[in-house]
Amino acid sequence: MPDTVRLGAGSGFWGDALDPALEVLREGNVDFLSMDYLAELTMALLQRQRGKDPKAGYISDLPAHMAALLPLAREKGVRIVCNGGGANPRAGAAQVAEVARSLGLTGTKIALIEGDNLIDRIDELMDAGVPLTNLDTGDTEFKRIRNRVVAANAYTDASGIREALDQGADVVVAGRVSDNALYVGPLMHALDWDYDRTDPNLIAAGITIGHVMECASAATGGMSSRFAEMPNMGRVGFPIAEFSRDGTAVITKVPGSGGRVDAHTVKEHLVYEVMDPASYIMPDGVADFTRLRLDEIGPDRVRVSQMGGRGRPDMLKLIIGYEDGWIGEGIMFFPWPDALGRAEKAKITMLERFERLGLKADEVQFDLVGVNMLHGPAAGVPTYDPNEVGLRVAVHTDTKAEAEKVRRACAQLWIMGPGGTSFGAPLKPRPVISVWPTLVPRDAVRQRVEILEA
Amino acid sequence: MPFLHEIAYVRSGDKSDSVSVGVIARTPADYPAVLRTVTPAAVKALFGDWVRGEVEVYPMDNIEAVMVVMRRALGGGATRTLRLDQTGKALGNGVLRLPVVDAPAADAA
Repeated sequence: MPDTVRLGAGSGFWGDALDPALEVLREGNVDFLSMDYLAELTMALLQRQRGKDPKAGYISDLPAHMAALLPLAREKGVRIVCNGGGANPRAGAAQVAEVARSLGLTGTKIALIEGDNLIDRIDELMDAGVPLTNLDTGDTEFKRIRNRVVAANAYTDASGIREALDQGADVVVAGRVSDNALYVGPLMHALDWDYDRTDPNLIAAGITIGHVMECASAATGGMSSRFAEMPNMGRVGFPIAEFSRDGTAVITKVPGSGGRVDAHTVKEHLVYEVMDPASYIMPDGVADFTRLRLDEIGPDRVRVSQMGGRGRPDMLKLIIGYEDGWIGEGIMFFPWPDALGRAEKAKITMLERFERLGLKADEVQFDLVGVNMLHGPAAGVPTYDPNEVGLRVAVHTDTKAEAEKVRRACAQLWIMGPGGTSFGAPLKPRPVISVWPTLVPRDAVRQRVEILEA
Repeated sequence: MPFLHEIAYVRSGDKSDSVSVGVIARTPADYPAVLRTVTPAAVKALFGDWVRGEVEVYPMDNIEAVMVVMRRALGGGATRTLRLDQTGKALGNGVLRLPVVDAPAADAA
């Protein structure tokens, strides 16, 4: 068993840059490269793609990414773990096998992990008495949205990834495993962790480091409050974790890459998208971020120690996506002088148009761009005459036809509106997939691992 | 009166309809003022009807930070909200508008 496992981040979200992943592969001396592609909303989009085409539903960038990464990964013996299977890990893995064959990398083992997708098991869960209460609103009337459900995926744990790596997988293509499991899985495999035998504090340490790593450059200066002082963010280095068997770790990056690793960049990511920091609940365990210790031990090197937590929960998070009407929106801009006055008169005019057009909307929002669009009620009124102000309007409707009326009203204001109105390109109505977050018993979710050989 | 942005950094994000904001003291010496300033009532008052649920504040003494959790604060969640800032990334900076609360006179002496 190794004393230290070297984990590299290769992607923080679908759309992330590929060059830092290649840099980690080339120069990071890592054992594993973990790539996160999924957000809460992504599964519903992918499920819809799969509905139209049974061969779709995985992350469409996956084949191109693997074509770029695989030759180097195979040469260096770096194993890639990703959730790019999305709503169709089987099709995604088959594509990766195809890519490996076309590169002459025959014998490459590609594991697929299924079992998170519960779309066809919802009625079974309801019949079994699982309440599916909405965790945000406390709403117990899941029945109300039952017929509009388009996706249902449980955040699954690292056991499938561990099994795949134990079986010798060079690439793991998972679906909705937790982002975190992409890092915990390799640790479980390399350090021979087991949920029953291993000290929960050790697994919680893995969860903590997974959390720091999972959004890639967000731990190396991306999104930083100190962005102005971060060097060369356009060629930022993705984070690397040197995880020791004793449950401590060092966060670092490739020397010479852009960005920075210091106590603050690690702190900034530790608090990202966290609720109660003493109970960071993941399918593999519950980490407590309130007792760990950070030490800067060298340039771009931060040691994380005293990590800990508790064993894994009995319930898994289930994200259900459902069709929830339409959003119509528009935006236009007004110039100095009295840009704010023009925007406010345009808003009154638009409301009159909505009335004339008979708009049926259950929610209407106006934002003054440059004034209160981002901070809402927390933003004050300008005490000067701004150079320009925008007016943004967004409404929620039941149907596309109603949402379309917003685009029409905005276009009508091009001439009916204030002098100087600059309108840009009109925005199309978009369908809404809302999220119903809930819990499902762990026992109801079974992961399945299968190996394809290129 | 100084504002929170002079003594703290933030990182802001979402979990369905909740907004999560980590407020990190710039230096350990700033941490007591961050704790005094960032309270559920102050945050709730700041954002008015944009935050429809409760506000919770969790201290993290080990890294001189507090977690602010605002429930039902994203207009229905990233995919459903009518706001342009669908994931609440900018709301953390909004918290930095809070005026820093001074230490009680006895402590200051």
